[in-house]
Amino acid sequence: MNAARSTFVAAIIEGPAAERVPIVRWLGVCFAVTLLFTLGGLLVGTTSMATSIHWLFAPNAQSALVLWQIRLPRTIGAWCVGALLGLAGAVAQGVFRNPLAEPYLLGTASGAALGVTIALLASGASVGALAWAVQLGLTGAAVVGAAIAIVLTLALARGVLQTSNLLLSGIVVGFLLSAITSLLLLAKPELWRTLQVFLLGTTAFLGWRATALLAVVLLVCALPATLLSRGLDALTLGEDTARSLGLSLPVLRLALLGIVALATAAVVGEVGVVGFVGLVAPHLARETLSVNHRHLLVASPLCGGALLQAADLVSRWIVRPAELPVGAVTACVGGAYLAYLLWRRTRDA
Amino acid sequence: MPERPAKLPASLPALACQGLVVGYGDRVVLDRVSVEIPGGCWTAIVGPNGSGKSTLLRALAGLLVPRAGTVRLQGRRLGEWRRRERAQRLAWLAQTPGATDLTAREVVALGRFAHGGWLAHRDVDDDAAIDRAMRATGSSRWAGRRVSTLSGGERQRVHLARVLAVEAAVLLLDEPTAHLDPPHQEDVVRLLRAQAQGCGVAVLSAIHDLSLALTADRLIVLAEDGLVGQGTVREALRADWLSQAFRRRIDVVDHLGAWLWRPAVDGVPDA
Amino acid sequence: MIGFRGAGMRPRLPLMIAAWCCLALALVLAQVAGAVVLRDDLGRSVNVPTPPRRIVSLLPSLTETVCALGACDHLVAVGRFDDWPPAVRGLPRVGDLDHVSIERIVALRPDLVLLSNSQRASNRLGELGIPAFAMETDRYQDIARSIRLIGALLGRPRRAAALIAHIQAQVRRVSAAAIAARHGASPTVYFEVDPTPYAAGPASYIGGLMTQLGVRNIVPANLGLFPLLNPEFVVRANPDIIVVSRIDARRLGDRPGWAGIRAVREHHLCVFPAAVRDTIMRPGPRVAEGLRALAACFARYAR
Repeated sequence: MNAARSTFVAAIIEGPAAERVPIVRWLGVCFAVTLLFTLGGLLVGTTSMATSIHWLFAPNAQSALVLWQIRLPRTIGAWCVGALLGLAGAVAQGVFRNPLAEPYLLGTASGAALGVTIALLASGASVGALAWAVQLGLTGAAVVGAAIAIVLTLALARGVLQTSNLLLSGIVVGFLLSAITSLLLLAKPELWRTLQVFLLGTTAFLGWRATALLAVVLLVCALPATLLSRGLDALTLGEDTARSLGLSLPVLRLALLGIVALATAAVVGEVGVVGFVGLVAPHLARETLSVNHRHLLVASPLCGGALLQAADLVSRWIVRPAELPVGAVTACVGGAYLAYLLWRRTRDA
Repeated sequence: MPERPAKLPASLPALACQGLVVGYGDRVVLDRVSVEIPGGCWTAIVGPNGSGKSTLLRALAGLLVPRAGTVRLQGRRLGEWRRRERAQRLAWLAQTPGATDLTAREVVALGRFAHGGWLAHRDVDDDAAIDRAMRATGSSRWAGRRVSTLSGGERQRVHLARVLAVEAAVLLLDEPTAHLDPPHQEDVVRLLRAQAQGCGVAVLSAIHDLSLALTADRLIVLAEDGLVGQGTVREALRADWLSQAFRRRIDVVDHLGAWLWRPAVDGVPDA
Repeated sequence: MIGFRGAGMRPRLPLMIAAWCCLALALVLAQVAGAVVLRDDLGRSVNVPTPPRRIVSLLPSLTETVCALGACDHLVAVGRFDDWPPAVRGLPRVGDLDHVSIERIVALRPDLVLLSNSQRASNRLGELGIPAFAMETDRYQDIARSIRLIGALLGRPRRAAALIAHIQAQVRRVSAAAIAARHGASPTVYFEVDPTPYAAGPASYIGGLMTQLGVRNIVPANLGLFPLLNPEFVVRANPDIIVVSRIDARRLGDRPGWAGIRAVREHHLCVFPAAVRDTIMRPGPRVAEGLRALAACFARYAR
């Protein structure tokens, strides 16, 4: 495995002629892994593995429900979430030309959390408020909150001209909205546990409806992003050089940030704040394949999807039939991977 | 081969600016500067540190918004060009190009961005232009390597190839010979001259090394207080612009038919 | 004794014996020095004057217990959600589970602060020389245990024993009536504490209530007090009845696969108004009331 990987990397570094083959091989490996995880997603749950396998070949009413209405949409939905985060992470790191940029840097996570908190508070406040809160749903509240956060960030940075301003504004807005959330929670601390699991992210309730929505958003985000990949490549040469090549930076940034915003809002709305995937997936794609955004914007979602599927499996498996919040798993795995990257870099330096 | 931009009447400079005022904050770097860069000719900008060589190049490239004055590319104001059309005619090389993780060839291919745009796939013409540019700069050998793993000189040549791949009518180069050893400096100079004389391109480069600059066709001489003069090297020497620009610290001498500079015998050190 | 019934039958017996020894010793000491020294559930020795005159209680169930033991007059402040009995509603509020105003508590010069061992204030209060007694409150047997402990702290052990006996009798009556009224198999129940989905496990005090009513908790005991469940588990368990909060009741059918659960399909959902829900969710002296509400709901949906 390790040898294969080093020849892999060597091939990419050595010559352009060799580059084509690893891409095919890379995609092959990636699809195989994803398929494996999807199968795992069907088999891992509250039953024993043997029962799950038996169900595959001798279906009954309950197995149909559990396998096809619960486990399959959940694992595919998890893949979509990971892919969206991988895409958003790759785009964010490209736009901000910063390998530590991540999808939530526009304050979307805090905004979504605030939206959910307000919805939860409103639902407890009065019967009248209950009606709209239920109708809008926690998902809708999260998306609205994320959108408001992005608008605030852009307003504070006075547009998209200065990436450093944008980064700072994102942090400021994030802190501000988190503070408001905390203050609101003072009024109803019993919501803390609900919100905490929301903040850690959970794939537990991903059904076909949510999965379909996530898949549509993924398509809507991925197509324009890949079209803009040359712009992201140009940006790696520096902003002035990119402009001299004929790029309109404001238009490019606005379009790309729009993609990041849509992707993260959808994710936060459906599963909560799943951390680290958006940060780690682009690194993984760059490490194993290529930094060229034409490849990266495909590879990073594929990595992110597989990563989150794996995390979802772990979260269902370890303490079954109870489970861990999937965000806690990704934080562990992602943190370990980043620590490894850092360790390797400091060792090589 | 893509159509080269139409040849211009000899009277019309490829690139010109008039009354250009550029500054950062409350500091004015260029004050009412007017220069003309003719096609088919290599022009070098020389001057001491801080005299605004890079600023002039960036303003001419349209990367800085001047406080006053106009820049005209092929007779048309920069602002009147469509972004992509302008980028096809005007290429710019930064003083220290980024250490990107893209491969050398991918970087050079970005020079074709203005020709294809977002949706267009790279076509045969683009590939041919990329190959030509990489051959011309001698960077084909490391086409598949990541630019961040190249040495400073190799990196510089890759970026030079990226600029050449644009096949623009005007090349604006900020210190293209930096990071290069003398033989490679000579290669670059030969390349620039070939672009100018062979292809009719207007080449404008800031050059730190005076002896190299003196091999150019024309000079634009900047001093800290503004433009000293512009014209052929011979005119510049006759009018003693260089000595003025460098506060009489240098002399230019003729050595076996080549102009070389040396410290002035009676120069007074700066305080 | 209700304290030793329920499914979580692995109480730390040596610890309990030690606690009782301490208590006995403390009672002896109290006669001499006018103070009791008791070891609380964080393992700290807490020195409390008998009887304490200025009490701060930071948890609704503990506040209810103090009042049920007739010491309501000695309360000087309560937690912000402590709303029962009505007599405490006028008292100053000095904090909740996570946020406690140490300064305000200190200013009140209490000689006893009662709180849960998950509240972080206890160490800080201890450092400041204020007797802060932390109690575990999550398990069913903790209901009787905390009454007994508070009785000891207040110097009213007999009254505490009487209260426990009274509650036991009530619980037994409700429990017997519920089981007698039921024909056929006992229903399976999923009690959702919050929509994450956190469930009430058999060893929790809520699980204890369910055991009293003879219903079957779908959550196995080995998952702990309040486990975070894989929702698929609930679908497979296919409970007859679900206890759920009002806001979540409407959306249960939206969760993948949940529309087919018997309780959801037949709308066998137990949803309680906040005041009633409090009696179920608080492990305090009104436990029999909560039990009665649960029993009524379960009886409605029994087949």
